[in-house]
Amino acid sequence: MKRFFCLLLSLLLGLLVSADPDYKELLNLQPLNPASLLASFNFWSKASLQSYEQQHFKYIPRSLGQILQHAKTRELHLRFSTGRWDDESWGARPWGGTKEGGTGVELWAWVEADSDSGSFARWVTLNNALSGLFCASLNFIDSTRTTRPRMTFEPTSSVSNTSSENMYLLHGTLPREVVCTENLTPFLKLLPCKGKAGIASLLDGHKLFDASWQSMAIDVRSVCSEDGSECSIEMEQTVDMVLDVDRSKRPRDNPIPRPIPSEHLHCDISKPYASNEACFPSDADLGQSWTIAEIFGRPIQGSCLSEDSQGQLRDSVCINVPLDREVNPYGDAVETKNEAGSGRCFAIPASKPFEMVLSHIGPQTFNDISQPPLYASRSFTGHGQERGGVQTLLTNPSRTSSIEFVYFETLPWFMKPYLHTLDARLSTSSTSSPEIIKETFYRPALDRRRGTQLELLVSVPAASTVVLTYDFDKAILRYTEYPPDANRGFDVAPAVIRLLPVEGQAEVYIRTSSLLLPLPTPDFSMPYNVIILTSTVMALAFGMIFNLLVRRFVGADEVEGWNLAALKAKARGRAMALLDRVLRKGKEKKVQ
Amino acid sequence: MAQDIGTGSEDANFKMASRPATAPKQPPPESSKSIKTRGLVILSFWAVVVFLGLPVWLWTTSIYRASLPLQDMLDWADGKVFVPNSNAARHALNVLQACKPTFPLQIAIEAPFLQEVEAAHLVRMTQHALDDLNEFSAHHLRLRLKKTFLSQDPQNASMAVTEDEYAAGYLKDYGATDGMDVEALTVRLQPKTGAQAARAELQSHSAKLDVFYASNQAPSVSSSSSTLATFIAGKLQELFAEEQAIIAYILQSAQTMGQASQIALSASSTPRELRPRFHRSLNPELAAKMDSRMTRSLKYAPTYHITVSLFTPSATPSSWEIESALAEYFTPLLDSISGVSNFTVDTQVQLYAAFSPSVQSPEYDTEQQTWTLREEDLSGFINAAEWPLSPSIGAGPTLNFVLYVPDRSTSPLVVKGSRASSWLIPQWGGVVILNPQDTNATSSEATLSKESIQPALLTFSHQLLSFLGAPQTPPSLPLQIQTLTRLRAASLLLSASSTMGSLARLTVALPSIAIPETVSSAVDTTLMHLRTTCDSLKGGKFRDALENARIAEIQAEKGFFEKSMVGQVYFPDEHKIAVYLPLLGPVGVPLLMSALKELRRLWASRKIRQPG
Repeated sequence: MKRFFCLLLSLLLGLLVSADPDYKELLNLQPLNPASLLASFNFWSKASLQSYEQQHFKYIPRSLGQILQHAKTRELHLRFSTGRWDDESWGARPWGGTKEGGTGVELWAWVEADSDSGSFARWVTLNNALSGLFCASLNFIDSTRTTRPRMTFEPTSSVSNTSSENMYLLHGTLPREVVCTENLTPFLKLLPCKGKAGIASLLDGHKLFDASWQSMAIDVRSVCSEDGSECSIEMEQTVDMVLDVDRSKRPRDNPIPRPIPSEHLHCDISKPYASNEACFPSDADLGQSWTIAEIFGRPIQGSCLSEDSQGQLRDSVCINVPLDREVNPYGDAVETKNEAGSGRCFAIPASKPFEMVLSHIGPQTFNDISQPPLYASRSFTGHGQERGGVQTLLTNPSRTSSIEFVYFETLPWFMKPYLHTLDARLSTSSTSSPEIIKETFYRPALDRRRGTQLELLVSVPAASTVVLTYDFDKAILRYTEYPPDANRGFDVAPAVIRLLPVEGQAEVYIRTSSLLLPLPTPDFSMPYNVIILTSTVMALAFGMIFNLLVRRFVGADEVEGWNLAALKAKARGRAMALLDRVLRKGKEKKVQ
Repeated sequence: MAQDIGTGSEDANFKMASRPATAPKQPPPESSKSIKTRGLVILSFWAVVVFLGLPVWLWTTSIYRASLPLQDMLDWADGKVFVPNSNAARHALNVLQACKPTFPLQIAIEAPFLQEVEAAHLVRMTQHALDDLNEFSAHHLRLRLKKTFLSQDPQNASMAVTEDEYAAGYLKDYGATDGMDVEALTVRLQPKTGAQAARAELQSHSAKLDVFYASNQAPSVSSSSSTLATFIAGKLQELFAEEQAIIAYILQSAQTMGQASQIALSASSTPRELRPRFHRSLNPELAAKMDSRMTRSLKYAPTYHITVSLFTPSATPSSWEIESALAEYFTPLLDSISGVSNFTVDTQVQLYAAFSPSVQSPEYDTEQQTWTLREEDLSGFINAAEWPLSPSIGAGPTLNFVLYVPDRSTSPLVVKGSRASSWLIPQWGGVVILNPQDTNATSSEATLSKESIQPALLTFSHQLLSFLGAPQTPPSLPLQIQTLTRLRAASLLLSASSTMGSLARLTVALPSIAIPETVSSAVDTTLMHLRTTCDSLKGGKFRDALENARIAEIQAEKGFFEKSMVGQVYFPDEHKIAVYLPLLGPVGVPLLMSALKELRRLWASRKIRQPG
């Protein structure tokens, strides 16, 4: 016992000595040409696995930690995204695409279980709990939206090998989910400073969901040291957004865009019609000048737990502009410049607000954006209510090297692809080249139980475009399976592309945009129409047979016609009798 | 049938005869055979409708309702009020099962320094005195003389041995008994020279009462009264007074509730004057006190989750030595209550926890040099919208203990008026404001030490006991936990019974609700375990009783909250009309009209035949 305590103590001491803090946060601002700004918020926290398992929570939030423990989840990746990343003008994705998800909600996790069915039960538990925590419809990730990818995802946890046998990877998407403020609020609550201090104070639903593209990510994983003696659990929360600078700078109380007065207009003089009368507004060389408060609506409220045990401040904000651009910080921030000359960082004291101005004075230069390793776009082809097709264009921009990647698609069960029509060809040739698809993993759909899972190992030669196509049939749904707005169409989850890591390079993920699949939609008053029509036919048949059986048939001249006069007389007689009776009764009463 | 044919043909003849001669042409007379065929056709159509259509319709639209022992369930809910009226025979079975919770407590008397005869006499007299004092028959104390080997041989050395044995701890002893309950309390009589009057001492860590008496107080066999006996009886009565009051309160409130629901439900003819005799009426102030106790305490659950949270409005302190502090100050208590309920404990640290806007910010009291919170703001102190105090995952309720460390600028912070720094939120948890001890201790600012959390954890322990419903007296913890066992068994018994009653009333009130087989089996299990609980209570096996009552309660809740019962089959009327009318209208009208016509014809022919 004593020995154990000694060990514990030494461990604790070791933890204290190690420079790795339990929590850090960093905001990376990257101006993108011409008038966009990429803001990457990153929050990282850690706890020892032992305290986590004993439910002593500090910077790992209790609400999420308990859910993960309850569902025996060892690693979790949750993504909320809206918008589309514009490869052409914004370049490569932040974090190599590892911290973004497809449009809507995407979730994948490694769950510990004894069997496939056991892992699915825990997966459902996890989804239901997360759904409550993040106010998202995650509980709708059922068996039809769940897949078990083989090649696309690798665990980032370094767990010992013995336990990894019982790990099951499950992946689910909700492309239809609209991400909004109600998802951001619980996201912020998970942070130790809850958006009250530090860079998280800039996160505001009005700005975040007004962005051209945004992605919120939560990653939880466990990390062990080399010898496996010391394990810890790490949680990383990331928010990336691309803001339109002009749009963000509009004052909040007067958000309607107004025409720029002509004297402030910058004209593109290279146009042939450029003159005093005609002006083609140019924003290409306008550059950017803004302050944090202009873009985000408020300055940064100090920093959150940025002081390490020696009282040193960590960097909180970094801006990636060439060093010859003028950047003016306000507040007692400590500035450090990047050796490569591509940016500078600021360490902010705990309780002072921080403001930074990217000046319009001086050269308006940007850092070069890096080229993405692959361009991917996906669209529908096909015709009619029944026949459909999918076409994906995969372009390798590199002039020298070919590229190899995993292409992963999950299709809903009502979209029935024909694998024999799967065809990959170079855009320059009209015949298919079988060497492009190297491996195929295909799991066909089962109606109402399982979606299609398609994983392809694809190789694209240098400086060429591959066209990947396949055909599918659209199934007809049952009356109750249509959503309330059935005519809008059905969302098909984005395809995930994982570029296999080349020597010395990190993994890169790319996601295509989601697709909207129109299905044949019935008229929803149909059941009543059917009931009435069938009933009418049945009643007609019945009436005919019944009358044939029951009625007596006589000659036309033998039928007694309606004697109207007699009827009238009879009715009058009845009425008189009734009146008479009433009158008599009244009289009798009077007499009495 | 032959008669029918006869009347049919007569009718036809009569009609022909009475037809006016003015008609130009008459249809030929209908043969009796065709009239008969027509009757048969209509009859067969109706036969199909009645014997095939109707049963199929009823069968396809019916809802499965498993049979429940409704009368039994209602009887349990009504506290088994036996009604000796005319249908007593019908209730005969129930009378046999009738349950009247009783709490016979075994109390051992050890009198190592008395002769056995003397001791027995003393015990008898004390028992008499106790019975006289006790006015609540359901809860009674039974004294028993414990034969110690010392009774003949009063030696101090041996005495020490017994003391050591007992000092080993009641708790362990208590936990080890399997079902068989040991004595609720052991009274040890010890003579003390030089003492004027008898004196009693309750040991706070074991269920033992030491009574020291002057040697001249030792009763003789011949005397009919003894001051010592009266003293012991009074002391015992005093120890168990609060428990008695609580049990009486629980029983009474269950009774009144049962009656209220009965009155509300139906004008049943149960004579209410026949209340069980254990219904001692409580005096109002005691009842009010009990009321507040009961509303404060949590509903019983086999597992409770405890969340200990550190809240602070700023960034410091950001850590605390909670693990070691819990292990030292809190876990021992939880271990000793584990016989009643299990606990899981989790902790969290929350920085930047602001008050909700409805709470007034603290005011500075210049006289006392403290910051004060208004008492009416205490209920809104917990900022439910922002503080992450969601219940823990898993079965069982969550108890929240909040340690609030005010900002340095607003400390020390206390409650205005009472100057208290901790309070309870009924059925939710407790709050303790921990004011930093020393304002100049800046080095340990970021971390709260184990010692500084200790007072807060002790407060939480007290709060936990009161949430569990343990009585304040007697001051001995084992006795309190024993009492808790009995109270929980009683309240579980009553709550499971009343759930049974609610379920029975629900199934009667909603005829369209489906009752699956699982509900029926849950009800059966509940009733069985209720019976066992009752027997165990009577036998004084309180731990068994608690175990059974727990199962009964779980099963009762399972039955009541059955998922498939919640979703009722509901079709609005217009829906039904839209579905049924298009078919039933065109088909039903000809069927009905033909049937009416046929009946009228039959009636007319009978009328004619009778006078003729």
